[in-house]
Amino acid sequence: MPLEFTPSEPLTFGVELELMVLNTHDYNLTRGAADLLPRLNKKDLPGEVKPEITESMIEINSAVNRRYSDLLSQLVTVRDAIVATADRLNLEVAGGGSHPFHRWHERRIYPTERFKRVSSLYGYLAKQFTVFGQHIHVGVENGDDAVYLTHRLAPYIPHFIALSASSPFYQGEDTSFETSRLHAISAFPLSGHMPDVSTWAEFNGFFDEMLEYGIVGSMKDFYWDIRPKPEYGTIEIRICDTPLTVERAAQLAAYAQTLVSHLLSERRTEPVAPLYRVYGYNRFQATRFGFQATLIDPYTRSQTRLREDLISALERIAPTAEVLGTTNALRDLEKVAEDMANDSLWLREQYQEVRSLNDVVRLQAERWRNDPPPKNVKG
Amino acid sequence: MSLSFLPTLPFEMSYPLLFGALLVAGMLGGEFARLLRMPRIIGYIVVGFLISPLAHAMHMRPLIEEARIFVDLALGLVLFDLGRRMDIRWMRRDWTLAASGIAEGVFAFFAVLAALLSFDFSPVQAGLGAAIAMTASPAVLLLVIHDTRSEGQVTERALNLVALNGLVASILTTIMLGSAHFEARMDIETAVLHPLYLFLGSLALGGAMAAAARVIARTVEKDREVHFSLITGLVVAAVGLASLLKLPVILALLAFGLFARNDQRGYDLLNVNLAPVGRLLYIVLFVITGASLPLGLLASSFTLAILIVAARAAGKMVAVLAIAPVGGLRIQQAIGLGLAMLPMSSLPLLMLHDILRSSPGFDPDLTAAILSSIVMMEILGPFAVQYGLRLAGESLPQLDSTFMGLRAYKARA
Repeated sequence: MPLEFTPSEPLTFGVELELMVLNTHDYNLTRGAADLLPRLNKKDLPGEVKPEITESMIEINSAVNRRYSDLLSQLVTVRDAIVATADRLNLEVAGGGSHPFHRWHERRIYPTERFKRVSSLYGYLAKQFTVFGQHIHVGVENGDDAVYLTHRLAPYIPHFIALSASSPFYQGEDTSFETSRLHAISAFPLSGHMPDVSTWAEFNGFFDEMLEYGIVGSMKDFYWDIRPKPEYGTIEIRICDTPLTVERAAQLAAYAQTLVSHLLSERRTEPVAPLYRVYGYNRFQATRFGFQATLIDPYTRSQTRLREDLISALERIAPTAEVLGTTNALRDLEKVAEDMANDSLWLREQYQEVRSLNDVVRLQAERWRNDPPPKNVKG
Repeated sequence: MSLSFLPTLPFEMSYPLLFGALLVAGMLGGEFARLLRMPRIIGYIVVGFLISPLAHAMHMRPLIEEARIFVDLALGLVLFDLGRRMDIRWMRRDWTLAASGIAEGVFAFFAVLAALLSFDFSPVQAGLGAAIAMTASPAVLLLVIHDTRSEGQVTERALNLVALNGLVASILTTIMLGSAHFEARMDIETAVLHPLYLFLGSLALGGAMAAAARVIARTVEKDREVHFSLITGLVVAAVGLASLLKLPVILALLAFGLFARNDQRGYDLLNVNLAPVGRLLYIVLFVITGASLPLGLLASSFTLAILIVAARAAGKMVAVLAIAPVGGLRIQQAIGLGLAMLPMSSLPLLMLHDILRSSPGFDPDLTAAILSSIVMMEILGPFAVQYGLRLAGESLPQLDSTFMGLRAYKARA
């Protein structure tokens, strides 16, 4: 039976954010999801708050939105609710792609059937997978568009990496990478990118083949950087670290929405294969060097710095941004690129100041709570 | 030729030998208990029970006096650690936390007070006995949490409750010691000034040590090992200072821990894990505690001891079960929290010793009954905590991944 692609309203969008749950005495990860979630589910919140693979993670799913400003306002509401609930439990919640000093073997698998199965299949990789990402969904009309966009967004993946990077520390050390989180994902056999198919029908052929081999059971088993999500009728960008603030998360989603709109109105026709010949190189450069990465354009066979490539892309799509109402968001991202000031830089600066990763996490949690300021400041 | 370089008999027990012997014997007992799937503490205590007649045969004074320095050091460390985990900001945010802490202490106090009054003990004596019964055991709780690697709401709340009732109980005994002085017809100044000195002096000492820790921390590198030495050194020094100044170690070190944490002015002190040094002292503490408990009294004061234990447990459970669900705890969590409050160990033992020292007229029957109830809860308590944390889902599941992997592998083969 072929995978049905549920059509959805084009350019609607939403995000999933994986967050860390922390104790307040040394700011290590702690098991708190099972206490936070039932309390949060009693509240009337837009979207959903869900468990993730280990008990020290929770995940926010926003509702479906059309405008950047609505998404941001919704995320602030949910964040405030989570912070208030966590306060009662003496827990802290924070963004960031990886916890700077937790030990993976101390993590505990959240007891649902699926997570237990994943854990018994992947062994220590499952606990190593205690990393925190942002997924961005953008609605598309049909499967063919989803396949087209999955390919054509590939050259922009390094931008998302540099803009969202917030995991320079891992297992107590500075990794020298802008994001260390992506290494936890690369370890899985079905990570990487979608194969070179050009229509939804072709994609179905590939999927059936993998199903027959018994390699996958559902779309969930592909851990690709970008993948079509037929049940939601979206394409899903899964490359971003969870930023330190909901505002940055919403801005990244706005960038994705604007890019999709731009790519749909100015269809690209160059061959797909060369994109993937440089893909791994460009992706590595971005994870390691951030805005200073060297990117290769396979069509012009030239090199540019990521920072300049990003700024020129943002300028190219500025007219589309006007229509979608994402101009402010993109202007802020452009400023980030100009200053090369992503969250990883912020984290490293904090560490230089306080000289203790425990304190860095405390400041991370403080920033998550207060930036942008809460909506109803209660006395 | 003179053989004067050879040691002479009989040998004298020395502190290093005593400490080393207790440590190794305790460790072995603990590992044996673990083989039987019991909490390690049970092993330490039982080794203590076995050592006690030995020490007696060697004409040693009771171990708790002989080795009081180790007990003080261990308890000092326990209470400092506990003070660091106590979170006053949390109590302000969730009133049910402080309320259940106060309530479980107060309920246990009045339940035991009523029981003792019905046995015709004088109000002051009954009050002191009831104050001792209020306490729980921070050492048992911390060690079981550590051994089962428990994490979560019940773990955190239990630590806060134990800290809170330790604080309340030591303030209460300090006050009642005043009345005991008064009953013993001492002058009114002593009756008022002595408790006041104990209380304010402890707070001042704790505050001063925390301030010193911060000042020194600022001058050295912010490194885990450096801070570990700093904190361990100051904790040991604080224990010494407390006994020099005739202040209660319990209250002074609890205050030190509390001030070291609940200070918003800066984050100069790293929250170092004291478990490596803690483990050594804990083992010795429990062996000594076991050795100091007179098992022989159990027969003579059984009825009253059972009554104390039952009244105390009922008071604590009722209070926690009534209030914890209001704070949103599930029933298993509330029961787990109540069970974590049950152990009695070195803290009440030490309080009893202090009372006996400053008021020698304390009723011997009551002393015997309190000691017997401590014996009971010393044995039952660790099981209660271990079961409670498992019931709440907070302890690490028993099989580790190697065992699970092997089992799965064999199942496939």
